[in-house]
Amino acid sequence: MMSLKPRNVDFQETWANLKETVAGVVGLRAVERAVWNTRFSDVYALCVAHPEPLADRLYDETRNFLEEHVSGLLQRVRGTAPLENNDHNDGLLTRYVTAWREYSQGVAYLNSLYSYLNLQHIKRQKVSDAEIIYGSAATACSPDQDSRQLEVGELGLVIWERVLITPLASALTGRIVSALSEARSHPPDPTSADILRQAIHSTVDVQAFRVRAPLALYQQLVLEPYLSAASGHHAQFAAELLHHGDISHYMKHVLEGLEREIALGGRFLHASSTEAVRACYERAAVAAHLPALHAETERLLREACDDGPRADQRRSDLKRMYALLKPLACAGALRPLVEQAHAQAARDGRALLAAPHARDEAHIHFVNSMLALHGKYSKLFGEVFDGAQAFIGALDKACSEVVNGRAAEAGAASRAPELLARYCDALLRRRGAGAEQEADDKLAGAIVVFKYVCDKDVFQKYYARALARRLIHQLSASMEQEESMINRLKAACGYEFTNKLHRMFTDVTVSADLNAKFQQHLRENNLSTNTGFFIQVLQAGAWPLGGAMAPLAPPAQLERPARLFEAFYRASFSGRRLAWLHHLCTGELRTRYTTRVYHISATTPQCALLLCFETVDSAPARELRESLQLAGDAWPRHVRPLLDAGLLLASGDGEGSAPDSGDDDGPHGTLTLNLNFSCKRTKVRLTCANAPAQQGGSGGGGASGEGNEVTHCDDDRKMYLQAALVRIMKQRKVLRHTELIQEVVSQARGSFAPSVAMIKKCIEALIDKQYLERAPGTLDTYSYLA
Amino acid sequence: MSGEDCDVDRGDNDGQKSDKMFTLKKWNAVAMWSWDVECDTCAICRVQVMDACLRCQGESKKDSYGKQDCVVVWGECNHSFHFCCMSLWVKQNNRCPLCQQEWSIQRMGK
Ligand SMILES: [Zn+2]
Ligand SMILES: [Zn+2]
Ligand SMILES: [Zn+2]
Repeated sequence: MMSLKPRNVDFQETWANLKETVAGVVGLRAVERAVWNTRFSDVYALCVAHPEPLADRLYDETRNFLEEHVSGLLQRVRGTAPLENNDHNDGLLTRYVTAWREYSQGVAYLNSLYSYLNLQHIKRQKVSDAEIIYGSAATACSPDQDSRQLEVGELGLVIWERVLITPLASALTGRIVSALSEARSHPPDPTSADILRQAIHSTVDVQAFRVRAPLALYQQLVLEPYLSAASGHHAQFAAELLHHGDISHYMKHVLEGLEREIALGGRFLHASSTEAVRACYERAAVAAHLPALHAETERLLREACDDGPRADQRRSDLKRMYALLKPLACAGALRPLVEQAHAQAARDGRALLAAPHARDEAHIHFVNSMLALHGKYSKLFGEVFDGAQAFIGALDKACSEVVNGRAAEAGAASRAPELLARYCDALLRRRGAGAEQEADDKLAGAIVVFKYVCDKDVFQKYYARALARRLIHQLSASMEQEESMINRLKAACGYEFTNKLHRMFTDVTVSADLNAKFQQHLRENNLSTNTGFFIQVLQAGAWPLGGAMAPLAPPAQLERPARLFEAFYRASFSGRRLAWLHHLCTGELRTRYTTRVYHISATTPQCALLLCFETVDSAPARELRESLQLAGDAWPRHVRPLLDAGLLLASGDGEGSAPDSGDDDGPHGTLTLNLNFSCKRTKVRLTCANAPAQQGGSGGGGASGEGNEVTHCDDDRKMYLQAALVRIMKQRKVLRHTELIQEVVSQARGSFAPSVAMIKKCIEALIDKQYLERAPGTLDTYSYLA
Repeated sequence: MSGEDCDVDRGDNDGQKSDKMFTLKKWNAVAMWSWDVECDTCAICRVQVMDACLRCQGESKKDSYGKQDCVVVWGECNHSFHFCCMSLWVKQNNRCPLCQQEWSIQRMGK
């Protein structure tokens, strides 16, 4: 049994015995359990010796012994071969690993034999981790200096490093690097591979106990020399690839090389080195050849996008190029690829738009081209560039440029708003049955294009006009579809954008209700309009109809329903004024003087004119005009279609009603009802030409006044900006000029890009109206006046 | 929204009045309403009275279409304004901003 009592100990004698056992342990020779236990007690006895503890002496002697032992191992490892030739097959690595295996195992055992010394003596004076990390530079820099005592296991490792590794360092490094280089092309047999791996990992294990920089030795002896050799190899490898083949060949093999290199590192190096291995490879094999890669981006993109035989190959190439460039993105390596991707999409988009197409299908051609462009490149960039944000952004930019067609003529307004609105109009009009779903899909596509339109408010104007036409003339395919399209636009652009469209839509719904109430009112009061009657009451301001309400003296047949409805309306609402939009009204007449009965649909003035022939067969045009009170150009616009259809005949000095007569006295001819009227169809639909655009009265079908919408938008833009300014200031109370401008711009972005000058004007206007004031004592701050 | 239900077909009568040249079967009328005001623009916010006032537009109410709540009000002096604008105005000054007469409401739009 081991005695725990401190006692006098003869150091020489005890150490002599202990030393013998230590030699056995370190040499991995068998040590009997009894002997082990005795020596374990000896360590204890020396440490607690009386009167003087002998721990320091034990430590010193043990160190001396280990130094001597490792010196012996050094001779064994070194052998007789010359160290300088760096031949990794000369046996040095094998001898080194054999000695290391034995010694590292032995030292671990020794550490347990010295447990008491380690625990009681060393731990107590061991510098705390914190001190090593944050303490004085002297402590931090030399955790293994002799002056400080280490646990015996650690001491053994430090001695191994100092006594054995240091003199062999360059010989070991040379052999390890050369063995790794050979392993790249000729995988070593399992035994050699094992030796190499253990040699490498010994440089990690030897310092594994260190808190600071535990991989310093590994990095110095293995990683750095390896990477510097590898870098040269990679550079040569890449240069040869480029020399012997094209860029596709190069990218394919460089990527394979990268995989090989990562695998090699994974097999032999420390796990922490993967990134360094990858970075070293990318620097030498890829970054060095960026100009060569960038020079090919344009061609690869072009060939990947045409439908040529190489398109598939080029897509694989681009995928590889992205894989090669992506890791170097922070050095800007991707930028040329992104720029070329943008240029390619933009070029392709312009080509698509320029393709020949039927003139009256310009709107279909425009939207289809844009959808084709967007679809093609979304798919391509998703496939080859992983849908990375930079490329999505490049596509968005390209689409926006193509849609808005800025390149063509600087300053010219883009046709996008008009074409897109026409496209929607065609889809939303009544059509053959069964096309509902198809139209829905196409409208969803229109929204994709819509998002790229810059002047969304101009689009809104065109859309509103077409919507007005559809609603007033009941041309919509389905009211559900109308409403869902308005909601889609609202989702894309916000409430202000669709406010007027919603109001138009609501008017139509309210009108249906109003008609039902009016009919009920007639029944309850035993009144009759004497004819079929349906009315739409629109609110001024919401409809893009302008003011061209031609005055008209309606015939008695129309007078009666009009007066009845006016009375009903006045009684139902208060403070409202009602105006008849005769050019938008239509009457349905049935002929009684012809052999076949014809159904004629015509504007109110046209109906009124026809009804004049109830009593006479012909009359002077001027007289007719005066009795109807149809002024100015409203007369020829309404009469011309009647003449063209053959319902009326002009005689006397002929075409007195021709629009180009330019005669202020009005027409001089005579109009006669054509009693021999005949037509193939029994339904005759008469329209009337639009009022000139500046009068704004073009609700009646056909093309609208172009270009007008753009200038018309300016006032609305100011209105919009003022509302946005009030909203922002109401919430923020006090705001600096620049911040206010920024906020307004960001709110308006959804529908147009406002100029700073226009915003400034609006701010001035609001200051005039006393919504805002310049905050007292400041030059650039506004405050809100409640 | 078609007016078929209001189309009273008088086809049966057609044969009797053979002296008529035309029969009016139906009239699809379109009319526009606006507030019956002397001036289209509200003198307080300088927005068309048919549109919601500047403050109501700023509110950007999600689902009301802004119209119903922002009606027109007429004073005894016959001047008219947005009701919202006038209610704020009279808190500071109970006179018509245009003619300086004491403000009292004659009627409200409906
Ligand atoms: Zn107002
Ligand atoms: Zn209001
Ligand atoms: Zn007044």
